Amino acid sequence: MRDSDNFAETVMMDAQPPAPPHRPQTLDIRFTGSGSEYFRIWIVNLLLTLVTLTLYLPFARARRMAYFQNNTLVGGDPLGFHADPWKMFRGYLLVLVLGLGYWAVSNFMPAFSWVALVVFMGLWPLLWRSSLQFRLRNTSWRGVRLSFVGDIPSAYLSMLPMFLPALAFVVLLPEPVEGEAVAEESARYAAAVVGAVVLVFVLLLPWLWARIKRYQHGGYTFAQERTELTVGVGRFYGLFFKILGVALVVMLVVGSVMGAAFGVMMLMGMTNWAELGRGGGAVAGLLAAVAFGVVVLMVYMLMPLVVGSYTTSRLQNLLWSHTRSPKIQFRSDLRLGPLFRVGLVNWLLIALTLGLYWPFAKVRLARVKLEAMALVVQGDVDEWVADAQPAGRGVLGDAAGDFFGVDMGL
Amino acid sequence: MEAGASGVIRTQWFDGRSPRGRSVTLRVQGDELLLRTHDGLVEHHYPLSGVRWPERRSHGQRQTGLPDGGLIQHASAAEWDAWFQASGLREGAVVGWMQSWRATFAAMAGTVVFLAAAWVWGVPWLSTTLARLVPQSLENQIGEQSLAQLDRLFLEPSQLPAARQEALRQRFARVVETAHPEGDAPAWQLAFHQSGVLGANAFALPGGSIVLTDELVELLDDQPDALVGVLAHELGHVQHRHGLDLMVRASLVSALVGVVLGDASGFLATVPATLATQSYSRDAEREADAHAAQMLHASGIHPAVMAIFFERMLMEANGPDKVSGQPVDARDDETGAGVSLPIAISSHPDHAERIRFFREWQAPGPR
Repeated sequence: MRDSDNFAETVMMDAQPPAPPHRPQTLDIRFTGSGSEYFRIWIVNLLLTLVTLTLYLPFARARRMAYFQNNTLVGGDPLGFHADPWKMFRGYLLVLVLGLGYWAVSNFMPAFSWVALVVFMGLWPLLWRSSLQFRLRNTSWRGVRLSFVGDIPSAYLSMLPMFLPALAFVVLLPEPVEGEAVAEESARYAAAVVGAVVLVFVLLLPWLWARIKRYQHGGYTFAQERTELTVGVGRFYGLFFKILGVALVVMLVVGSVMGAAFGVMMLMGMTNWAELGRGGGAVAGLLAAVAFGVVVLMVYMLMPLVVGSYTTSRLQNLLWSHTRSPKIQFRSDLRLGPLFRVGLVNWLLIALTLGLYWPFAKVRLARVKLEAMALVVQGDVDEWVADAQPAGRGVLGDAAGDFFGVDMGL
Repeated sequence: MEAGASGVIRTQWFDGRSPRGRSVTLRVQGDELLLRTHDGLVEHHYPLSGVRWPERRSHGQRQTGLPDGGLIQHASAAEWDAWFQASGLREGAVVGWMQSWRATFAAMAGTVVFLAAAWVWGVPWLSTTLARLVPQSLENQIGEQSLAQLDRLFLEPSQLPAARQEALRQRFARVVETAHPEGDAPAWQLAFHQSGVLGANAFALPGGSIVLTDELVELLDDQPDALVGVLAHELGHVQHRHGLDLMVRASLVSALVGVVLGDASGFLATVPATLATQSYSRDAEREADAHAAQMLHASGIHPAVMAIFFERMLMEANGPDKVSGQPVDARDDETGAGVSLPIAISSHPDHAERIRFFREWQAPGPR
């Protein structure tokens, strides 16, 4: 630092006075975004995106991300978002060209779609990494940029096993037999291969999951601090089987409710038939339709809501409670109950308002997820110093990340 | 931290290297932003054009990016906005728009109008234009590939005698020639296949391949004119390039839905996309029907022969018992509503409407 500091000024400016050295300090996370304001941003963004035939998309995206990050307060100070929308625009154009190429190949030349797939697989880890880099580099806290320092070989090593099943299918499956006589034996062999590959993949999924998350959470840096994920593969397997268990329980509950409903219906249908003749059949039919609707609603709403909320909360807690650097320790205590309630209310209101509640829902969900987190910091943050950082690369990755749905785990 | 009378604001500055904030004053001077610590030891001049100003919003602090990577962070939004205005700085048009509820509702109305216009005119026009741009050779290739795929999955070699196939082909060729005396008919090839899966059916593929199943030929064995009508319907699909057109439309619609729903669930996104595609393919069927009626008329066949085809297909679908107890009458709107006809795609318009169309078809008068 070139100049002497005015200590009194600093104290006056900061919401909290710096903690005495060597005492851990907890920085709470608060989210101050508002649903009604995000609604206005969303509508205007949507109109501009539509009338520009999606060319406005990167600008809309920059505004959205800035809104969410600026309203995320860590220890009272907001996160900054600094990406240049014009750079994101260039990345968007590139991804648009790639996407159109992929679309054209898979629609017009389906025989060559495997080439497009291989190119995509080869590029994907690279895009993923540069997307993370771009996002982190353009995020700041107290004026200091975050960064992502995971290297390219590790990105490939942690991501490529995801594509193993596709490879296994290509290598192990026989060429489809032309003509009418598909030998029964080869069909059985193909079914066995598919079954085995899927089973092995499902069993390996937690391991793949752990690899990817370890790479991601092992590359975040702030000033001199670099995070690591200190959780073993075993915990991922544990969580995986718990999620399977929850899904099974929900299915059992839905199944028994369905069974009970059918039982009641049949009983009523029979008594009505006996008493009312043909008219009762109509009543039973109506009841059947209602019961069927309820069951479909339960399967489509309850299943993703319960299992999804459970997965989201437990995964966030597992990941962020075990993400730490020498002086920073993250905490996450996202409970299933509040998350489930918010999810339920969100979906009901989205359905009732024909989707207009969507931005409100997004803000509410972000609040629940973010405010369940906190950071514990050792020592005085003011003393930390960041390295000067190169800027400007990784635009393509960001656009691709959005295109294919990759995001920071927050 | 209050805005001074002379356009000076006391605020917090981060230099971009240390997380330590420092108190500074800011002032706009000409086309420069002047930043100064209180002890006067640090003074920076930034060109206004290089500063990234925050967008005005009702929630959240104000963060301003400086060209050297530094950051101004101001906790009180109202104070910052007052200083910003007093300093004669202008905000973007979109920012004011997003802060006004009236403008937001106008934008909402605009979005609805845009989507409606895209649905009615935009998507059909764009897909027809794009489909026309696809070169014939590529279209043929697409047709060949989908035929190969269908062949593997559903089709078996035809059991019809070659002479019968050839007779039908000649008959249809004559009708095409009569209907298109200038030779402006699209190129077509007719192939016969047996198919247990598809049953009595006919379909057209991009590039002009028309496939007729043995089952349909047998169904209309005594009605060669109706068979010609079915082929004329398929030729209508070829003429209008419906195969490509619908493919492009489906992609456009799913892109549109993707933009509107953004990161909403994938399941929700498929519903409007499917509905839109079905509605467009019903339009395509109507166009092909109109083409068939004109071709038949040009060859001196009354389009009403097509009614026989629909009735027999209905009998196939419902089984002879039901139909015999409830005779099919095209003029009765209610008859067998909801039974889909399997020529080409299952999204054909209500068959009663189509039977009426062919029965009541009138040759267009001379203009």
